[in-house]
Amino acid sequence: MSPRDSQPAADGAGEGEPSIVFRWDLDKTYLRTEFESLRKLVLIPFEAATEKVHLPGVPQLMGGLRRAALARGDRPFVFFLSASPPQIGAEIRKKLALDGIEYDGIVFKDQWRNLVRGRFRSIREQVGYKLGELLRGRRDGPRTREVLFGDDWESDPVIYSLYADVLAGRLGGDRLAGLLDRLGVERDAVHRIDRLAREIAGDGPGEGVLRIYINLERRSPPSRFKAFGPRLVPAFNYFQTALSLYEVGVLDAVGLGEIAGALHERGWSGERLRNSLDDLVRRGHLSAETADRAILVLHRDGQDLQSASERTLGARAVSAMLRLRRRMARSQPEAKEPGPIDWETLVEHWVAHRSG
Amino acid sequence: MPRIAVDAMGGDFAPDEVVKGVATVSLESEIEVVLVGDSARIQALLDEGPYNPEIISVRHCTSSIGMAEDPHEALRAKRDASIAVAARMVADGEADALVTAGNTGAAVLCAAKNFKLIRGVRRAALASVYPRETELPGQDVFGLLLDVGATIRCEAAELAQFAVMGSAYARRVSKQPSPRVGLLNMGREEGKGGDVLVEAHRMLRELPSIHFVGNVEGNDVATGRADVVVAEGLLGNVVLKLLEGIGEAASHLAAQAAHDSWRVRLGMAMLAPGIEKVRDMTDFSTYGGAPILGFERLCIKAHGRSSARAVANAVKVAAKAVRDRIADEIAESVAGIR
Repeated sequence: MSPRDSQPAADGAGEGEPSIVFRWDLDKTYLRTEFESLRKLVLIPFEAATEKVHLPGVPQLMGGLRRAALARGDRPFVFFLSASPPQIGAEIRKKLALDGIEYDGIVFKDQWRNLVRGRFRSIREQVGYKLGELLRGRRDGPRTREVLFGDDWESDPVIYSLYADVLAGRLGGDRLAGLLDRLGVERDAVHRIDRLAREIAGDGPGEGVLRIYINLERRSPPSRFKAFGPRLVPAFNYFQTALSLYEVGVLDAVGLGEIAGALHERGWSGERLRNSLDDLVRRGHLSAETADRAILVLHRDGQDLQSASERTLGARAVSAMLRLRRRMARSQPEAKEPGPIDWETLVEHWVAHRSG
Repeated sequence: MPRIAVDAMGGDFAPDEVVKGVATVSLESEIEVVLVGDSARIQALLDEGPYNPEIISVRHCTSSIGMAEDPHEALRAKRDASIAVAARMVADGEADALVTAGNTGAAVLCAAKNFKLIRGVRRAALASVYPRETELPGQDVFGLLLDVGATIRCEAAELAQFAVMGSAYARRVSKQPSPRVGLLNMGREEGKGGDVLVEAHRMLRELPSIHFVGNVEGNDVATGRADVVVAEGLLGNVVLKLLEGIGEAASHLAAQAAHDSWRVRLGMAMLAPGIEKVRDMTDFSTYGGAPILGFERLCIKAHGRSSARAVANAVKVAAKAVRDRIADEIAESVAGIR
């Protein structure tokens, strides 16, 4: 059973054809996998596709991103990268088909090979494995803008941010090797990553990664991710993720409405969605203007995102509040470009506090 | 689900402990909370720990009333104070109840200014819960004392209404089907205490809707003789402060004795598990807060020194009181005695 599936050739997008890559983690990002206990962990390989549960709004988000990309004239690529063994691959592929998700590649971790070679540390190690696979995917696949989706369960924020800074030309060589060593990556994996990083360095500097979305499945405190800068958006649900993607123009209004609708069907009230939106604004990951636009767009789509106050106060008061909020937003200073990540401090902190 | 407006800026440890308490509630229940206060400070505190943003909203306001400020003056000068905004939200129907750990006088004034008295209720009463000994199976370890300062001097009919309101609240919140009601007096005999208390005793004795156990003296307050102790505001406040003062003095004296003698230190160390158990049982934070009774809308006043745990429990008590329709229960009970 191959750990890799249908990785496209480097010219898969066609020479000069605009494209965008979406890279997804599987467990806790797309699927509600439960591996909190050994019993649940053992049962995962025996789960049928029909028993696997996706997180609310994810299939709609994937569909919306694809449609919006095609509408813009971008060719979308969807890749999955998982630390699960390839033995669960068949059921995962069935589940993706059940959810109507089109994808271009999926990579699993070859745990059997690690076991046979007696590399027990590699079985648990995530950073070296995932970063290596991301870079390999970049080398062999389309070299274009990317949006990454992960979760707060293990080390996705660190892995994705390292990857983004390598692509941007801000990280490499001895500094990268030192950081990986501190993160517990094995020496041969560090060498492999260094080689891959040099191979793609020819692309020249530039922001390859547009955004990193971290699904707060564990409800980790958002402050934990501040050091990663504004490129990384910790989101409590996929409506928040969709709002941010709507703001950066990767998702359109139709897609946003579909995700809100999907969550609504799963029990999210308009009030809950509104609170999620306001939370994202307060945390600085969504502008007040986009928030207002999203509320109007969703209202036209039949989704009522009025807060309790607005319902009580009536439409005139709502308009007044929106005007006030827009004025306040305009009076705020322009957001400054984030400084570079202080990787040494961040990694020390991450190593000291990581639980996965 | 009830929506509770929480004064985020009120209390000795606000907004930190208030926001932490609300964050805890958001993970443990489906209660919707509106945090009223400085939005930026509130969000910065939320960011520091786990929370569920889907059931928390924030209403920004720019000022707050300090614990030591004169409530009349402060409310006049700060119309945008967090407690005033939260009270207006409850009055306007944007939230179902108000929780504050802030300035007690301001809480009472805000309630009086914004909420309507229940039909037939002459005066509102500020209640307080306090740890006490239990005598009967199923008794709550907390007793309810009212009024503790909302109405300084009362008439007999008002004391009778306090008894009815306190009894209704204890029935719902403490789950006691027939809470025992006592009238705080200087003796158990019904002729003691002056005209008002004698008349109040007569009225309470004739009320079929409450379980009146007669007059209770100061030394009965800390026992399980009465679940609801009724007093006029001046007396109730003195008793409440006396209870708190004695507790603090006992702690200081024990600490001093332990400091002076290794034998006492050793003895206290051996007693520590028992002391800890008693402390846990009587920790006011497990109860959260006490209501201002008599208004159509509910206000739960949490202790000024409330920790996150106390705030979380105050929010839960408020939600329970809303769900159990305490105001309706009181209205029915009061109508029954008219």
